[in-house]
Amino acid sequence: MQQRRRRGRLALWSALFLLLLVALTLLVLLTARHEASRVQDQVDALAGDVAAKVRSELLRTQQALQALAAHAAAPQRWQDDALELLRQNVELLRIERRQPDWQLGAAVDSPVAQPLFKVIGRNESDIDGAAACTAARRSAAPAFSRSYFVPLDGGVGLEVIDLCLPMLDGGRDDGYQLATVSLPTLLAAALTPEQTRRHEVSFVEGDGARLARAGAPRGMGVYRADSLVDLPGSTLRLRVDSALGPPGPIPNLTTAAVLGLSVLLFALALLLARDVSRRARAEAALAEALAFRKAMEDSLITGLRARDLDGHIRYVNPAFCAMVGFSADELREARVPPYWPPELADTYQQRQALRQAPGHSTQTASREGFETLFMRKNGERFAVMIYEAPLVDGQGHHTGWMSAVLDVSAQRRIEDLSRQQQERLQASARLATIGEMASLLSHELNQPLAAIASYASGSLNLMDQPDADTPAMLRQAMQRVAEQAERAGRVIKSVHDFVRRREQLRESLGVDLLLEAVLPLVRLQARKSGTEVVTDLPQPAPRVQCDRTMVEQVLLNLARNAIQAMEHSSDPAARVLRIRVRQTHERWVTFYVADAGPGIDRELGARLFTPFFTTRREGMGLGLSLCRTVVEQHGGAMDFDSPVPGTRSGTEFRFTLPAAPAPKRAASASDAPQTLST
Amino acid sequence: MSLTLDPTLGLPLVYLVDDEDVVRDALAWLLRSRRLLSEGYGGADAFWQQLQTLRSGDTSWPGSPLCLVLDVRMPGTSGLELFERLVEAALLPVLPVIFLTGHGDVPTAVAAVKRGAFDFVEKPFSNNALVDRIEQALAQSAAELTRRREQRSRARRMAELTEREAEVMRLVIEGLPNKRIADALGISVRTVEVHRARVFEKMDVKSAVELANRLRDPTG
Repeated sequence: MQQRRRRGRLALWSALFLLLLVALTLLVLLTARHEASRVQDQVDALAGDVAAKVRSELLRTQQALQALAAHAAAPQRWQDDALELLRQNVELLRIERRQPDWQLGAAVDSPVAQPLFKVIGRNESDIDGAAACTAARRSAAPAFSRSYFVPLDGGVGLEVIDLCLPMLDGGRDDGYQLATVSLPTLLAAALTPEQTRRHEVSFVEGDGARLARAGAPRGMGVYRADSLVDLPGSTLRLRVDSALGPPGPIPNLTTAAVLGLSVLLFALALLLARDVSRRARAEAALAEALAFRKAMEDSLITGLRARDLDGHIRYVNPAFCAMVGFSADELREARVPPYWPPELADTYQQRQALRQAPGHSTQTASREGFETLFMRKNGERFAVMIYEAPLVDGQGHHTGWMSAVLDVSAQRRIEDLSRQQQERLQASARLATIGEMASLLSHELNQPLAAIASYASGSLNLMDQPDADTPAMLRQAMQRVAEQAERAGRVIKSVHDFVRRREQLRESLGVDLLLEAVLPLVRLQARKSGTEVVTDLPQPAPRVQCDRTMVEQVLLNLARNAIQAMEHSSDPAARVLRIRVRQTHERWVTFYVADAGPGIDRELGARLFTPFFTTRREGMGLGLSLCRTVVEQHGGAMDFDSPVPGTRSGTEFRFTLPAAPAPKRAASASDAPQTLST
Repeated sequence: MSLTLDPTLGLPLVYLVDDEDVVRDALAWLLRSRRLLSEGYGGADAFWQQLQTLRSGDTSWPGSPLCLVLDVRMPGTSGLELFERLVEAALLPVLPVIFLTGHGDVPTAVAAVKRGAFDFVEKPFSNNALVDRIEQALAQSAAELTRRREQRSRARRMAELTEREAEVMRLVIEGLPNKRIADALGISVRTVEVHRARVFEKMDVKSAVELANRLRDPTG
């Protein structure tokens, strides 16, 4: 496809080039031809002109001679007139008078030219004149002779022509008047200096031999025109040969300019075309790169967000829009990002302001990313991981922030779920133990109690209607009752033994350690409902003497209850779980777990610690009663207040645990006796 | 409160099936204090064998009202399995079952009641209340026994009727007067009256209404 298009373009270009070539060639040719024909025309016209001029000159000379002939009778006068004539007409070299028998009567040589017949005699070169006179006599009209060469001094010569006028005297032959005309002079006289500058004008013979010539340059033989000068008795052939040579490949400046411009234009067009094609290629590459980048951005499941320094969104990719549920336009136009949960907007604003503070350089931008909470359009909150990097433009200015946003809610959900499951598993394992123990205990106690009840009821029945057997039966019944009561007692004792065994597991423990152990689990649960966890404990943390596992369980239980109490009823901003620890007495440490939930009403409160009492469907109802049992086993007490003292809502659970003497204090001298005495 | 039952039936008997000797003994003692006979079995299998023996030995078994107090949870065959066998053998009407349930068995017991058990009592039970339920179960068993006896006797009487007497009885029950019956059967009114009197005598009734009632109501 690409190749075919390129080949087509190449064909087009070569066609254009060819066309231009042909046009230029034609132009050159036509110009040359035009030029040639113009020059030829000039030459032709000149030839005609000169011929006419020569002829008219000769005819004028002929007339002058005829006028001279009128004075032939008086020889002196004729001689004077002839001399005058010669002086006036430079082309005339000599005028003779001949007798009818061809005897020379008189001769006058031109005073302005060399004497003609010095090298050879006149009689040796008068054949042509004689022939002309014969012809003139015959036709009784002036006649010109053929031209002939007269050598002169110095090796040069002169082509001349004779004009013969037959003279009549009263109808009688009276001889001839013969004038010799110099052809070169004649020619020169007929020509203007202008004409002689550019052309060579000559009389030629039939075979092309030059007889006489005029004009500065030699003719080039390219533009040539012949013209006949028709004279009575003779004909002269006049030839004009232009000094111009054959037309060059570039005949003149205009054509050269046109040609040059055309070539320049073509070259320009070529350059332009190359530039255009290169530009098109670059554009195509750019478009492709853009499309590639767009496809890449569109196919990303990572949300991308670019913000300027004021925190306004400048760009988001489709994945980000899909994640938060707002369109790109909505996001760009919003002043405060609509995906910020309203209750957290202030916190986020502060965070943003902090980042834009002058002291916060771009280098400190976290490359590790941070986790935060966003809100979808439908109000659902979800956890996201944000990786942010400064946007730096071409000039190196920091113009904003680019963030990659990952929706980690699914991941968190799975993590939460698995943690919850694990926790539930642990709890249920613990509960299973408790439940198993309860079941075993109830079974073990049920049997003797049921039996005792049966014997008691039976005894009463018997006493209502006594008969002879009654005393014996009653005795038997009482015996059985005693046996079963003792059996029940044994069961109770074994439970006591179990509790005592656990008491031996108590250790001295910092409260901070206790909280550290449970807080991760508590926070995990709290995050699900967006609850804030606040802990408050004195420094140094007090130490308590407790069964770590059991107390951790109590704290977890109370915290979970508190979180669940706030889960549905209060607004998200108010969901705060406070865990506070205070050394309220030298020997006691009090734990406070307070929620901001709806509180517990009086009626419910009365049954709160009853075993198997629960307000939850899935609950066993063992939590609080077990907590209290654990606390009481430690010698402490458990209690609650609803609403939380000093507020109007929520519930605060309190329990005390025996304080353990701090290791430092235990070592000090003042407390040592006391420690020993207890 | 004392149980009053049809004196023609045998002495009521309560079967106690529980793996706990203590409970079984105490319950037996309690029943004795209420003048009720009981038999204890330590397991479902032992009781089932005894039951099979009784049924194969006597076709008219049971001759006396019965009740079964059954513990749900027992080692070996459980109370529920035994209950299923009783349902299959269609013994529930004469042998009502009262379940004793321990901790956490209530849903199973409820399901059993829906399948035909008489009742369930949670341990620890209120003793005399349990005995009251046992007596009510015995009364139900006694009623069933009486009904079966009635049914058997009615079948026997019906078998004594002649063909013509049966025809006359059918028309009498339909409410036809003697004359119409005579027309329908092509016999004289007098003959009809004789047949009618014989039918009343054999079926041990005094009027046509009583006859109709007896035949309609299967429990008699």
